[in-house]
Amino acid sequence: MESTESNGNGISHPYNSLIKMRGIWKTYQMGNEQLHALREVSFDVRRGEYLAIIGPSGSGKSTLMNLIGCLDTPTKGEYWINGEQVAKMSDDELARIRNKEIGFVFQTFNLLARATALHNVELPLIYAGIGSGERHDRAVDALSSVELGDRITHRPNELSGGQRQRVAIARALVNQPSILLADEPTGALDTHTSAEIMNLFEKLHADGNTIIVVTHEAEVAERAHRIITIRDGEIEKDEKIK
Amino acid sequence: MASIPSFSLLWESFRLAAGSLRSNKLRTLLTLLGIIVGVTAVIAVVTIINGLDSTVADAFSAQGSTAFSVSKRPLVITSREDFIKFNKRKDVTESDAAAIDRLCDSCWRVGTAINGSSLVKFGDSRAENVSVRGLSLEMFAIENVTIQSGRLWTEQEGNSGRNVCVIGTDLIENLFEGRSPSRILGQEIRVDGVPYTVLAIAEPFGKVLGFSRDNFVYIPFESGQRMFGARDSITVHVQVIDSNVFETAKDEVRMIMRNRRKKTFADKDDGFSVESQDAFIGIYQNATSGIYFATIGVAVISLVVGGIVVMNIMLVSVTERTKEIGLRKAVGARQTDILLQFLIESVTVTMVGGAIGVFTGYGLAYLLSFVMGFPLLISASSALLGVTVSFIVGIASGSYPAWRASKLSPIDAMRNE
Repeated sequence: MESTESNGNGISHPYNSLIKMRGIWKTYQMGNEQLHALREVSFDVRRGEYLAIIGPSGSGKSTLMNLIGCLDTPTKGEYWINGEQVAKMSDDELARIRNKEIGFVFQTFNLLARATALHNVELPLIYAGIGSGERHDRAVDALSSVELGDRITHRPNELSGGQRQRVAIARALVNQPSILLADEPTGALDTHTSAEIMNLFEKLHADGNTIIVVTHEAEVAERAHRIITIRDGEIEKDEKIK
Repeated sequence: MASIPSFSLLWESFRLAAGSLRSNKLRTLLTLLGIIVGVTAVIAVVTIINGLDSTVADAFSAQGSTAFSVSKRPLVITSREDFIKFNKRKDVTESDAAAIDRLCDSCWRVGTAINGSSLVKFGDSRAENVSVRGLSLEMFAIENVTIQSGRLWTEQEGNSGRNVCVIGTDLIENLFEGRSPSRILGQEIRVDGVPYTVLAIAEPFGKVLGFSRDNFVYIPFESGQRMFGARDSITVHVQVIDSNVFETAKDEVRMIMRNRRKKTFADKDDGFSVESQDAFIGIYQNATSGIYFATIGVAVISLVVGGIVVMNIMLVSVTERTKEIGLRKAVGARQTDILLQFLIESVTVTMVGGAIGVFTGYGLAYLLSFVMGFPLLISASSALLGVTVSFIVGIASGSYPAWRASKLSPIDAMRNE
C-alpha cells in the first residue's frame, strides 16, 4: 500500500509530494567489494505525515536517514524535496537545503556545550542570515513552544535530558523546516522522559508538521501513522497504521 | 542566498574564538608567545630607531649640511694600515686655513680648531676627560654655539692667546656643584694645570645616544696651540652660505689643498680628509640598518615559529570540535562558513598576540629611551605594521586547519566521539 500520488500515466509530479525518492542506491566501495547499503529504494512522503522508519541495525536505515536529511548524496537515483532535485547538489547547496527544509533531532542532542539554550536554538537562523533581533524573537518563540521559555539562558549542563532534547527540537523547528527528522530521539532518555518527548512529537504533528522518526524501538514507531521497514537495504514493508 | 557572510556570522565566529581562548588560558599564552615576541621585536626596534634617528638628525642639523671639515686624519679609521697611512700625511696648518680663506670663492666662513681633552680643576673639584678645544671665533658661528650667560672673548683677546674660556653646562655640576652662573663667571679654572678665566657658559647641546655634548671647555685657538703644541695638525672648518654650493666649495677646497701639497692626478690619496656630516650620517645609517636587519630576522623567525604553533593549536581545536562542526553543517553551515569561523579564530588569536606585542614593544622602547635618553616616538604606523603582520600570520597559519574543518563531512563529523 504505497502512498504515491499518481497522475494516471505513472509519472508523478514532484510537487505533489514533500519527499519523493526514486530508485535510490547507496553503494560503498570496501576494498574490492561493493557494499549496497540501499538498493532501489523508492517512496514518497506527503506534507503533514508522521512516518517512522524502522529496521534492525545494519539494515540501511541510518543511510536512508542521512540521505533524507541531505547529509549525504545517493550513488544513483533521484530525490526531490519540496520540488527541488537534491540528488546531484553540491555541498553548499545541500547546506542550504538542510538549513531551509530539514530540522534535525539527534539521539545525543548535539547541543553546543558552551552556548545557552537560546544561542543553540538561534544557530540555524545565523546560517540562514537572519538579523539578531528577529533571530532572538524566533528562538524565544521556539523555546516557548517546547515549554522552555523560562530556561533560555541555561546551558546544556544545567538542563535535564528531556529539557536538552526539547532544546534540540526547538532548534529543529526554529527555521520552520518542511521536515522534522529525528534519529532515535528517545535513545538517550528514560521511559518517562521518552513518553514526554513522544507526546511533544504528537502535538507537533497535530500542529501540521511533517515528522520522520528513525528508530529501532517499537513503542516509538507505533506512535507514527505510517511505518516503513527497511531490511538489507530495501523497503520490506510500507504500511499505514492510523 | 548571498555568499557574503552576514555580520551575525562574523560575530558568532568571533565569540567562539574568544570563548576558546578563554577556556584554556595556558595554551592560549603559549600559542601567543611566538607572535608576541615577533611583534614586540618589530615595534621596539622601529620605535627605538625612530627615536635615535630624530636625535641624530637634531644633533647634526645644528650644523646643517652647509659645513665640512678638513683634517689630517678622518674621524673614523677602520684599519691599522689606514692609520699608518693617514699618519704619514702632512699636517694641516693655519696657513692651509689662510689659503682656503683667501682662495675659495664658494666658502663663507673658515674657522680653525685644535682638539684635545684634559683634566679640569676648580679648587678641590676636578673633572676628567673634558673636551678641550681651541677655537677661532668663526667656529662659534659655524658650529652654532650660543652663549647662555657671560660674553665671548674678543678678537684681540683671541689673537693674543689670552687664558680665557667658555664652558659647557656639564661643568656647572661637575666643577661648580651647581652654583649660579654669576658665581661661575670670572672664576679661574685649571685646564691641564694652566689657569683659565671663565668668560661665558654656552647654551647646552643636549645628549646624543646618551653621550653628553656639553662637557667641554672652549679656549681661543692660539691658546689651544699653546696647550697642545703649535706643531700639531689642526682642523679647518668651512661653512658655505647655501647648501647649493656645498659640493662646489668642497671641490675648490680639495683643489687648493692638493695644490699646496703638490698632488698630481696620479696621486690617489688627497693627503688630507674632507668630511661632512653626511659621512657620519652614513656611518650611523650603516649601523642602524644592521640592527634593523638583525631584528627583522629575529622577528621573522619568531613569527614563523609562532605561526606554526598557532597552526598546530588550530588543528587540535578542529579535532576537538569535530562534532560541533558536524552539527553546524547539519543545521546549514556552508563550507565557507566553517572556513571563516576557524580563520577568524586563528586571526583573533594572532591579533591578540599582536596587540600585546605592540604594547610590550612600546614598553621596551620606553624603557630604553629612558635609559639612553632619546625621545620616544610612538608612531601609529608601527602599531599598524604589528597588527597587519599578526593578521597575516593568523590567515597563513589558520588556512590549513580551517580548510580541513570546512571539508569535513557532517555525517563523519557527528559520528566522532
